[in-house]
Amino acid sequence: MEAIKLDIKKEKKAHKSQTGLSILWREIIHDKLALISLIFFIGITVTVFVISLVLDLDEIVRVDLFAIHEPPSRTFWLGTDYGGRDIFGQLIIGTRNSLLIGFIVTILTGVIGVTFGLISGYFAGHLDNVMMRILEFFNILPFLMLVIVFVALVPKYSTVSFSLIMTAFLWMEIARIIRAKALQERELDYIQASKTLGTPNWKIMFGHVLPNLSSLIIVILTLNLAANIGLESGLSFLGFGFPEDTPSLGTLLSYARNPQTLQDRWWIWLPAAILIFLLMLSVRNVGEALKRATDPRQRRG
Amino acid sequence: MWKFIVRRLMIALPQIALLSLIVFIIALMMPGDALTGLVDPTLDPAAIAAQRERLGLNNPWYVQYGDWISGVIRGDLGQSFRYKMDVTELIGSRLVNTFWLSLLTTVITYLIALPLGIISGRYHDSLRDQVITGYTYFGFATPLFIFALVMLWIFGFNTGWFPTGGSVAPGLTPGTWAYVLSKIHHLLLPALSMALITTVSTVQYLRSEIIDTKQKDFIITARSKGASESRVYNYHIFRNSLLPISALFGSDIAKLISGTIFVESIYSYPGMGQLFVESILQRDSSVAIALVLLFGIANILGTLISDVILSLVDPRIRIK
Amino acid sequence: MSFLEVKDLQVHFPIRGGLLNRKLDVIRAVDGVSFRIEQGKTYGLVGESGSGKTTTGRAIIGLNTITSGQVIFEGNDLTENKNKRLDVRKDIQMIFQDPYSSLNPKKRVLDIVAEPLRNYERLSRNELLERVVDLLEKVGLTAESILKYPHEFSGGQRQRIGIARAIALKPKLIIADEPVSALDVSVQAQVLNFMKDIQKDLNLTYLFISHDLGIVKHMCDEIGIMYKGRYVEAGTTEDIFNKPQHIYTKRLVAAIPDIDPRNREKQKQFRAEVQAEYQHSFDYYFNKEGLAYPLQSISATHWVAMPEGGS
Repeated sequence: MEAIKLDIKKEKKAHKSQTGLSILWREIIHDKLALISLIFFIGITVTVFVISLVLDLDEIVRVDLFAIHEPPSRTFWLGTDYGGRDIFGQLIIGTRNSLLIGFIVTILTGVIGVTFGLISGYFAGHLDNVMMRILEFFNILPFLMLVIVFVALVPKYSTVSFSLIMTAFLWMEIARIIRAKALQERELDYIQASKTLGTPNWKIMFGHVLPNLSSLIIVILTLNLAANIGLESGLSFLGFGFPEDTPSLGTLLSYARNPQTLQDRWWIWLPAAILIFLLMLSVRNVGEALKRATDPRQRRG
Repeated sequence: MWKFIVRRLMIALPQIALLSLIVFIIALMMPGDALTGLVDPTLDPAAIAAQRERLGLNNPWYVQYGDWISGVIRGDLGQSFRYKMDVTELIGSRLVNTFWLSLLTTVITYLIALPLGIISGRYHDSLRDQVITGYTYFGFATPLFIFALVMLWIFGFNTGWFPTGGSVAPGLTPGTWAYVLSKIHHLLLPALSMALITTVSTVQYLRSEIIDTKQKDFIITARSKGASESRVYNYHIFRNSLLPISALFGSDIAKLISGTIFVESIYSYPGMGQLFVESILQRDSSVAIALVLLFGIANILGTLISDVILSLVDPRIRIK
Repeated sequence: MSFLEVKDLQVHFPIRGGLLNRKLDVIRAVDGVSFRIEQGKTYGLVGESGSGKTTTGRAIIGLNTITSGQVIFEGNDLTENKNKRLDVRKDIQMIFQDPYSSLNPKKRVLDIVAEPLRNYERLSRNELLERVVDLLEKVGLTAESILKYPHEFSGGQRQRIGIARAIALKPKLIIADEPVSALDVSVQAQVLNFMKDIQKDLNLTYLFISHDLGIVKHMCDEIGIMYKGRYVEAGTTEDIFNKPQHIYTKRLVAAIPDIDPRNREKQKQFRAEVQAEYQHSFDYYFNKEGLAYPLQSISATHWVAMPEGGS
C-alpha cells in the first residue's frame, strides 16, 4: 500500500486526460500568432498592474492648468488632456481598469451562464422549457439601451454596480451554448451510470458534466473577454461606463467626442484606440486558436 | 406552417407584454415623470408633488399602467420635456433618418458579405481566402465605435471628403436633387463604417456554410452527374448556404440598434440612437422610455421574422 | 417470495405536438411485462432493437419512469412512493452496453471505480485505495491502472472497469444491458466467462439483456422473449431452445448459426419449415395491431403468447 501511495504523485503526471487542457496548451504553443498574442497580452497586463502600483493616482488626476493640451514631450510622454493631466498615466490606469472590468464581467457572466445552462440542459423537460423562455426574454431585450438606462438610474453608481449591470444582460449566450452541450451530454451512458451509482444530481452536474465542458467554457470565456473589453470601452466612450473618478480606455476615447480633440489632438485618444484594438485582437487570437483545438477536425499540433 | 406561425406569435405576444411591464417599472424609477413627460424634474419637491397629484400619478400602479398602455396603443407616448413636443412626433422625425441609415447599412453589409463569403468559401485556404479571413479577424477585434471614430477622423476631418455631422447640408429645400444628394453624402460614411464592421460575421458565416455544404453528399452527386463547376456553385451550394443567412436577419436588427447608438452619436447624425443618448443625458425620461419600448418591440419582431423565415427554409424547425 | 418480481410493467413515452404542445399519443415501449427472477440465477431478456428490453431494464433500476405496474425487489415495491427513498440502488447495479461512453473520459480509473464507494461508504483515503485496487484485481486489471484514463484501455478492459464499478457496492442484482455487444467477438467470451465467475463468487443475480441468442443460451437459466413491448414467450433455456412454441421464437432459434457441418442439412430443413409456418400463420400468432397476445401457461415453466383457446 505504501508503495502505491508513493507512486501516485509521479504516476499522475504520466497520464493525461484525452480531452484535457494540455491539448489547448499544445495548440497555443504550435500556433505562433496565438503564442505571440498571449505573450503580448500577459505582458501588457503585468506591465499595467505593476506600473499602476508605483504610479500616484492623485498625481495623474490632478488638474494642472499650466499644462493644458500639451503635445507629447519629455515630461508628458503622451501629452496632456484638457485638464493638464498626463495621458500616459491615464493610459496605464485606464488599461488596468478596463482589463479588470473585463475579467470581472467575464467571470461573473461565466458563472451565471454556465450554472444556468447546466441546470437547464441537465434536467431538460419542463424545467428546461421554463428556463429557456426566461433566457429568450433576456435575449430580445434591447440590451445596450437597458444597460445605459440602468447606468443612468442607479444611485451611488460605482464600479461594482457597473459590472453587475453588464453581467445582468450578458450571460445568455454562454448559457445557451452550455445548455445545448449539457443536453447532449446527459444522454451519454456515463451520466446514466452515475445516476445508478447513487451520485446526487448536483454532483453529476458539476463533478461529471462540467469537466467535460471545460475546454468549451475556456474558449467562450476567452472570446467573451475580448468582447467585454470592447463593450466597456464603448460604454465609457458614450459616458455610461466607469464612474468619472475612474479613468478607463473608453474615458480617454470619449475626449474625442469633442471635434477639436478628434481633429487636432490625436495623442489623447489614438493611443487608447490602438491599445483597445491590440488587446482585443490578441485575446481573440488566443480564443480562436483554442477554438480550433477543441474541434479535432481543425487541430494543428 | 400556419400552426408554427401561430405558436411563434403566442411566444412573441407575452414577450411584448412583459417588455412593456419592465419598461413601465423603469419609467417609474426615472426622474420626473417618464410616462407623460409633463413634470419638470428640476422643480422643488413640493411643486413636483402637486403636479403629480394633478396628473393622476399617485394612482395605484395598475391604473397608471393601464392609462399608459392604452395611450401607447393609440400612439400617444407622452410629451418630451426638453423639446416641448409630442414624443411620437419627435421620434417620427428621427425615425426616418435612422431608417435610411439602417437600410443603407444593411445593403452595404450584404454587398460586401456575399462576394467575400462566396469567394472565401469557394476557394478556401487559397491566398484570396486568407486575405478575406484576415479582414474578418480584424473586423471582429475592432469595436465599432473606434472604427467609426477613425473613419470620421480620416475621411471627415483630415481629407474632408465627407461631412462630419448632421443629416443634410443646411439651406437646401426638401425634394430637390441637391437635397437628396446631400442626404446620401451624409449617410455614406456612417453607413460604411457600420457595415464594414458588422459584415464580418456574415462573411464568416457564409464561408463556413459554403465549406460545409461543399462536402455534403448531394454536391458530390451533382458533380458526379456532370454538372459544371459554376452550376454546382451557383445553383446547388450557393442556394443552400444562402438560406440560413436569411435567418441572421433578426440578429441584424439587434446589431443595428446598438450600432446606431454609437454611430449616430459619433457622426452627430440626428436619428433615434443619438436621440436616445441625448435624452438620457438631459433626463428627458419620456423620450428615453419610448425609445426603449420601440427598440424592444423591433427586436422581438426581428427574431419573430427570423424564426418564420427559418421555418420556411428548414421544415425541421417547425416540428419543435 | 421471489427475489425480483415484475408485475404488469408499463412504460409509456408521450408524443407531444399541436398548438399547445399537448400530449397527443403515447409510445408503449413496455406494455404489460411480468416476470420473476430467483436469486443467484441469470434471467435473459431477448428481443430485437425497439422491443422494449432495454427500457424494461432501465425502468427497474429507475432510469426510466414507470407508467404503471409493480417492481417488487426483496419484498419491497420500488414503484410505491414510500419506497422511493429506500436505497435499493446500492443493491441493484447496471453494466452498460457501450464501454466507451459509459466511462467519464475526464476521470481516472480510481475515481470511476470509487464513485459508488464515495456515495455510500465513508472510507479513508487509504481504505478507498485498497478497495479500488482490490476490485480491479478482481476484474483482472493491475493496480497500476488506477491512475490511467479510460482512453488508455481497450474495449474489453473498459468493460471490466465498468464491471468493477458495478460490483463495488456488493450488489445483489446486476442489470447487464448488452454487456458485450460493443466488443470484439474475441473478447466477448472472455468477459462473459468472467461475469459467470464473479456471479458464483459474489452470489449475483443477473438480468441479462441481449439480442444474441447464442450468448443468452450460454449465460441464462431462464429466458423471456419480447416483441414490440410485450412478451411472446418465456421459459427455461431448455424450453425456449428445444421446444419453441411461438412463431417469433422459432424464427429466432432457427436463425442461430450452427457451425457443426454434420447438422447443416437438418438446420436448412428446420429453417425452411419455420419460414413456411411463418408465412401462413403470422395472423394466428399476432392480433390485428400486430402485437402479441397475453401469455398462457403450457407447462410449469413455459408460457407462450397465444390467442384465447388456442395452443
